[in-house]
Amino acid sequence: MLREEWRLHRSFVGAVGSGFFPVMIFFFSLVLAATSPVLLRKMDVSLVLLVLHVSAALYGLGVGALAQIGEQVMTRRLGQVNMLLQLPALQPVRFRTVMGVFYVKDAVFYILYSIIPLVGGIAAAVPLSRITPGGVALLFVTVLLTFMLGMGLSFLLSAVALRSRAAAAAVALAIAGLVALVWPLRLLVPGQVLLPLGYWETQNSLYLLSAAAFALLLSAAAVLLMKERFAPPGRRFRGALLETERRFAFSKGLSALVAKEWLELRRSGALGPVFSGFLGPLLGVYAVIWLFRSGLGLPLEFNVVFYGGMLGFLGLMTYSWLTNIEPNEFLNVQPVGVDEVVRAKLVLYFLLTTPVSLVYLVAIGALNGECAYLPLAALVGLSTMVYVAAVTGRMTGLRANTMLFDAAVLGRFAAAIVPPLIAVTLASFLVRTAFWPAAAALGALSVCLLAASRYLLAGIGPRWSRSAFGI
Amino acid sequence: MPVITTEGLGRRFGDFEALREVSLSVEKGEFFGLLGPNGAGKTTLVRILTGQLEPSRGRASTMGMGPDDPIGIKRRIGIVPEAESPPTFLTAQEFLELVCRIREVPDVGARVDRWLGFFQLEDKRDVLCRDLSKGQRQKAMLAAAFIHEPELLILDEPFINLDPIFQRRLREYLQGVVAGGRTVFMCSHILEIVEKLCTRVAVIHQGRIVAQGKLDQIRQTEGEGLEDIFMRLVEGRNGDACGGRPAG
Repeated sequence: MLREEWRLHRSFVGAVGSGFFPVMIFFFSLVLAATSPVLLRKMDVSLVLLVLHVSAALYGLGVGALAQIGEQVMTRRLGQVNMLLQLPALQPVRFRTVMGVFYVKDAVFYILYSIIPLVGGIAAAVPLSRITPGGVALLFVTVLLTFMLGMGLSFLLSAVALRSRAAAAAVALAIAGLVALVWPLRLLVPGQVLLPLGYWETQNSLYLLSAAAFALLLSAAAVLLMKERFAPPGRRFRGALLETERRFAFSKGLSALVAKEWLELRRSGALGPVFSGFLGPLLGVYAVIWLFRSGLGLPLEFNVVFYGGMLGFLGLMTYSWLTNIEPNEFLNVQPVGVDEVVRAKLVLYFLLTTPVSLVYLVAIGALNGECAYLPLAALVGLSTMVYVAAVTGRMTGLRANTMLFDAAVLGRFAAAIVPPLIAVTLASFLVRTAFWPAAAALGALSVCLLAASRYLLAGIGPRWSRSAFGI
Repeated sequence: MPVITTEGLGRRFGDFEALREVSLSVEKGEFFGLLGPNGAGKTTLVRILTGQLEPSRGRASTMGMGPDDPIGIKRRIGIVPEAESPPTFLTAQEFLELVCRIREVPDVGARVDRWLGFFQLEDKRDVLCRDLSKGQRQKAMLAAAFIHEPELLILDEPFINLDPIFQRRLREYLQGVVAGGRTVFMCSHILEIVEKLCTRVAVIHQGRIVAQGKLDQIRQTEGEGLEDIFMRLVEGRNGDACGGRPAG
């Protein structure tokens, strides 16, 4: 399975791209660790450890959504491709056995692919920083255990969700309750929930042993709860394509494809993840800022214009989801180019995210008492959304989630996205103190982003029209 | 008037040469069969002719268009690919409607009803394509290739997964297509069907056309069946290098 995973990655982004990703993580953490003496003058080491472990837990949560994607892998995403995960359909192997092996494979793969390069970068910076080799080894253990806890928890949640959505919601609520005991209730310290972090707080090895035991327990429970049969019962739908197409008539030549995308989105059950993939990070950004400001007492002044700038940059996940629903292999024999489907997905992306974005901005404007800034925030939000979508569509086509693993593509993507993000963020900080200069700068920036978007959108045709559909 | 021509066509995948010096011509109104063992290069050739793949060298023309105009080619022809893969979350009816709308053909409802009826899929019209059986999915792919009544049909193993009733029904339909002056280019392993239907055949082996012409032209002895011809050309070539008549 490991070999299959590696070949799959290579088929998506090429051997160089696949191999370059861990190299990039290595250098990223090397630079951060090497500059840690400067960073630690501004930030407490406990805050750095907290951020690192929370990130590892979230990464594990993302990787561990196995059971949920299991059905998708088997029935849609890979189309005609047969994965080892599909063995139980034809061979006398239990699905939970294959999923157990798949889980171990995923854990090993992502540890090798990202955790080891991350800690390796820190280890390489030992001579340049005040970090000791023993500290690096310990950090590897605690980050690894945190990642495994996140992965196990996510795996368990998705296995429970396959049996009962209500039970899964209850488990998720219990976890949220546990987190709430730390923030904002402050009845527990972070290390009492994120056990590996507890070791750093107390130096008590029991935290490490408990974390290892919990990680094993969660994954074992998930494997045991795994359903043997994934094949859903056949579903019927009254023909809705032509009627839906009429509703999207404004998209002119793309209306049939937009209608197809919309029906697939609804019927695949991806509408929820698409919405939460957009709304979640938006709420997350607000929550983190609120936490730092209210919980940690940091004087952060993020206004509604800043949040407007975040809209586009956080929409990437949504576009990525939209490209994951259907491989569209049948379109290889129809007079349709990949570029047309990319455009149809972009239309749907804007239809889905624009109302959410508007409600989000108005809500934040009202909460912060900054309604006067809303027009500027809306302009910044619109231009960043269009720009990021144009960059993503142009650079990744229908393979957003895989092509961004290609270090070359990721590098170009970051070069296109990060400078405008920094410029928008910095200019937004000036809104309260120097409104007109800030508004002029943000207006000019928005015009530039929209002009660049037009160029990028026009480039989608030449870049993708000759590509083939499929994974 | 040829609707398909290739000259010295070649295609490489890394070190592997999938097609070598393929030259053939298919005239309007012909029922042309392409035969060859697994991995001979049939699907590669079909993908080049249908604008899905660019050749490494040589020239190809389908309905007067080259591989540099894939949308133009696909607009003019009907294609059944080697593997059936209709859209996962559209129903059979919606799949055909989508194809009609993409191809901008009139009378969508009537056409869809006709082809659902032809393949006896009326009671499956509201079922998601992913929940259809393999045979039903193949029927949906065939209907999607026929629905705009193109001048040229390029079919890669069209009879696969069809029961004998629909094999016969498809055979009769394709004979009617050719009788009406349209053209069929078909790859198939079912030699019995090829022998019954095709007016001309080509045999491809290891990326080369090893024989091409009417059945009478590539027979070595009176009464030699297509299966014998195929075995001689493919196995004989492997064993003692004695091929059939040269391509041309």
